[in-house]
Amino acid sequence: MDEFFKLPIFGVFITLFVFYIAQQIRLRIRVVLLNPVLIAITLIILFLNLFDIKFEDYNKGGQYLSFFLGPSIVALGVLFYEKYKEIEHNLLPFLFAVIIGGIVSILSVSLIAIYLNAPDVIIKSIASKSVTTPIAIEITKIINGIPAITAGVVIAVGILGNAFGPAFLKLLGITSKTALGTALGTAAHGIGTARALEEGHLTGAYSGLAMCVNGLLTTIVSPYFVIWLIEFTKSNQ
Amino acid sequence: MLKALFYIFFFLILGEFIKYLFNIPIAGNILGMILIFMALKLKLVKLESVKPASTKLVKYMVLFFVPYGVGMMVYFEVLKAHWFPILIATVLSTILTLYVTAIIQQKFEKNG
Repeated sequence: MDEFFKLPIFGVFITLFVFYIAQQIRLRIRVVLLNPVLIAITLIILFLNLFDIKFEDYNKGGQYLSFFLGPSIVALGVLFYEKYKEIEHNLLPFLFAVIIGGIVSILSVSLIAIYLNAPDVIIKSIASKSVTTPIAIEITKIINGIPAITAGVVIAVGILGNAFGPAFLKLLGITSKTALGTALGTAAHGIGTARALEEGHLTGAYSGLAMCVNGLLTTIVSPYFVIWLIEFTKSNQ
Repeated sequence: MLKALFYIFFFLILGEFIKYLFNIPIAGNILGMILIFMALKLKLVKLESVKPASTKLVKYMVLFFVPYGVGMMVYFEVLKAHWFPILIATVLSTILTLYVTAIIQQKFEKNG
């Protein structure tokens, strides 16, 4: 059976099959915690453990799906172009909000983790937690973190923003629908954007754009910020 | 569809090539994302000629990162050892990021 699980079609097939099931579950029970990605990952891990299949064997097929993350990121540039016109008149306040929000995200997550004595490799793996998974994975690779941990944390952050973001912001006096969209896209990327789209088309457009801008910003600044923060706190101990 | 896929992969390889040539610490696919946006803005490429592929890719993006998520199983022990700082740092930082972004946008945006 071992040889069978090493065939690339096994990894591809089980991912497609389980993802399809996860989507069907989501269509029938609309609970945010039942996010299809989360269900799919959990079910596949359980299956691999049950049949004692190594991740490397699963990934012989899985890597063919991961490959498409590259072209998907390029496709985000097209999405950005499509939505860009809708925010042109508010471009400066929008960019200001996303840039400050993006920097606050990297700094706060790194500083809290440093304060709680997390090892460097963990800090490097969670620094890009607010940006869309494929971009976060690329950032983690560049700063030598563990991409798999990044993927898990980023998805969890997205679900957190999706489930509690709007209620939390309303509680703190945010009434603007566009501000809600910008915040969801900046802090909780695509999974947050899915929620923003439920609030309306314009909220969704702001959220999608914020996700693209913050992805780019975090790519440019986080390698320097994170490495500098780690070095700085070490030299002061 | 084939033409649209060709454009997407063209900008992807262009991004990878620029990264390779100048050794920039930014992923090639992200450079590709910037380049395709600029090409659309400068009207070098028409939206209709890339949209069939880009819409599908964005739609199925979540499926493509499932294998990375499954990769967490290899790091189960690492996660078990450090779950507390990971949980506290990501939750607090997410709350802070949401609020700071929203309050700035709400304060400075023009309505209408």
